[in-house]
Amino acid sequence: MFSKFLHHQWIGFWRSRNKGGTIAAQVILVFFALYLIGVCFLLGFVMEDLIDKFLPGRDVFTVFNGMILYYFAIDFILRLQIQELPTLAITPYLHLNIPKRKLVNFLQFRSLMSVINIFPLIIFFPFCIRNIGPEYGNFSCAIYLTAIFSLVIFNNYAALYFKRVSAENIKIVIPAILLLAIVGGLEYLKIFSIAAFSDQLFSFIVAHPFAGLVFPLLAIIIFLINDRYLRNNLYLENLSSGQEKKSSTDYPFLDSFGAAGTLAALEIKLILRNRRPKATVTKALLLLFYGFLFYKGDLIASNQFGKMLFPAVFMTGNTIMIYGQFMFGWQAAEFDGMLANRVQIKDFFGAKLILLTISASVLTILSTFYAYLSWKILIIHLAAYLYNIGVSTIIVLYFATRNYKHIDISKGAQFNWEGVSASTMLLALPILLSPYLIYLPLSLIGPYWGLLGITVLGIAGLLSRSFWISFLVREFNKRKHKIAAGFRERS
Amino acid sequence: MIIEINKLKKIYAGRTVTDIEQLTINTGETVGVVGNNGAGKTTLFRMLLDLIRPDSGEILSKGKNVAAADQWKQYTASYLDEGFLIDYLTPEEYFIFIGGLHHMGPREVMDYLHGYEEFFNGEILERGKYIRDFSKGNQNKIGITASLMQQPELLVLDEPFANLDPTTQIRLKAHLRLLKSGKLTTLISSHDLNHVTDVCDRIILFEKGKVIKDIYTTENTLEELEAYFSQ
Repeated sequence: MFSKFLHHQWIGFWRSRNKGGTIAAQVILVFFALYLIGVCFLLGFVMEDLIDKFLPGRDVFTVFNGMILYYFAIDFILRLQIQELPTLAITPYLHLNIPKRKLVNFLQFRSLMSVINIFPLIIFFPFCIRNIGPEYGNFSCAIYLTAIFSLVIFNNYAALYFKRVSAENIKIVIPAILLLAIVGGLEYLKIFSIAAFSDQLFSFIVAHPFAGLVFPLLAIIIFLINDRYLRNNLYLENLSSGQEKKSSTDYPFLDSFGAAGTLAALEIKLILRNRRPKATVTKALLLLFYGFLFYKGDLIASNQFGKMLFPAVFMTGNTIMIYGQFMFGWQAAEFDGMLANRVQIKDFFGAKLILLTISASVLTILSTFYAYLSWKILIIHLAAYLYNIGVSTIIVLYFATRNYKHIDISKGAQFNWEGVSASTMLLALPILLSPYLIYLPLSLIGPYWGLLGITVLGIAGLLSRSFWISFLVREFNKRKHKIAAGFRERS
Repeated sequence: MIIEINKLKKIYAGRTVTDIEQLTINTGETVGVVGNNGAGKTTLFRMLLDLIRPDSGEILSKGKNVAAADQWKQYTASYLDEGFLIDYLTPEEYFIFIGGLHHMGPREVMDYLHGYEEFFNGEILERGKYIRDFSKGNQNKIGITASLMQQPELLVLDEPFANLDPTTQIRLKAHLRLLKSGKLTTLISSHDLNHVTDVCDRIILFEKGKVIKDIYTTENTLEELEAYFSQ
């Protein structure tokens, strides 16, 4: 039965409608995974030398022991992000003469077939066999291997369990994030160290090897919890969306924008109520921390704004770029209705501009926390913000009229390449490069002149918005049939 | 005369799916469009709504080419398929949105929907669900009601009876007959010959994109159509 399920998944993959995109994405992922596996192999075999080289004088075993739980803590967080729930579309099997037990077993077994489960084995096993064995004896080595293997299993099922439960009840995410933040904070403030705890734990296990059996026990427990949860929830109603009552909402503050405001309100609902746009916009918030990579004391002190302009434009405008690249595609499912209804295309574009402006404003306000580094960053962000809402928005919407790919907004955003095309990839270039066309020549006079130039360009874009809207409407009308036809081809 | 179609042609992958030399629809008519799968009914409706571009020819609505100007949107309401619904809204939100496009306030919309309680059969309003979580039949009801609510002069419905339960089919028929006022022009496509002959004054039969029959309904029409389809 297992092999039949696997076979169905296999042909399902090859026969999927947008298979070009999925396969290309998979091929890239496979290469990436192979590369990572190679790196892990190398890491595993030269770990002893690496520790010696980078942390000279520290006891190799202390460092190694410290690493284990640390690795699995990060591993767990990563899994929450990227590990997909194994979804054999089980609906067509539920009514058949197949015991529920088998379906659950398949789901459980299938989830183990993830490359994330291989990495820790390759990283840790060679060191255990080559170093722990000779040093502490074969029995300890076996316990280590068991412990690491069990941790993999534990993480695998714990992450899936957490994802399943949180998909049903979003409220548990908040305490979980708090817990993570607290542990992370304590680690950062050096009050509690995962590494030190990990070292103590494994040193204890070396002294009392049988204590190591607690790991397989934990793994079995979480497996059983997951198992029971699945068996109790293998019903159609649990597989579809949540059962809580949905209520109507409106956003009165947008009413003042007239018809465009109504359409903007509609799109806010689209974002909040669908998986992929929601995840895309959430990502925008995370990208706010991007600046820490760029904003360095010496750059700020020497007014090298050119090097900080890129992150500033990116952070204050990342929703414009990342959400905007699939503009219209988000509405692919109801695009025919939009065209046939009494919606003026001018308002349609007006709504997009309102939405992009609001999102950029929110990001800019949030990004003011960088002011604690220097007030100069505020000025750069302000210039970048005005440039983004004045110019980037228009560029994005222009490219959007050349995007004909349907997007299923109910799917997750992670590794989801649906709707990505050459034009969406190229889109970032003009947005990120054009401020430099203004900044670089003007910065010869002085860096502040460069920023002023960008600001003026942004304000000019804002003031001439109505001109650009009619330009966009013209471009849109040229291609609307092509866009609508593309969206009708569901993948 | 509200609709005038001249030399309309649409070709998909070398196959002609619409080929209409000349066709006019008079104001106030209720027209049934029938034909087997592939006859080009939906394609015709889509071209009428400027959703796809004809390869040649034109459709004039009140004398204006629909592909050239947007004026037809002011008086045309339509429901072709679920692609016309916004599936992440609750039905109430959707109605209010559509109403808003026609300058109806939320109160007005809810008052209007009051008259449709019987048609909804308690299945649509205040269910606490998004449109995507409704059954196909109920989604159909939402789309049809939203189009009727716009109080159009031209109403375009693609297979409105499909997926509806028998009670609702009968109620919809009665309602469509009630709407015949001399001002409203209705285009309905359907596979159910009983329903179209019941509701429509005029039946246009398509085969592979061409108009085969164009008749005003009499008591013999149903037999005539059945004779054609049972060949």
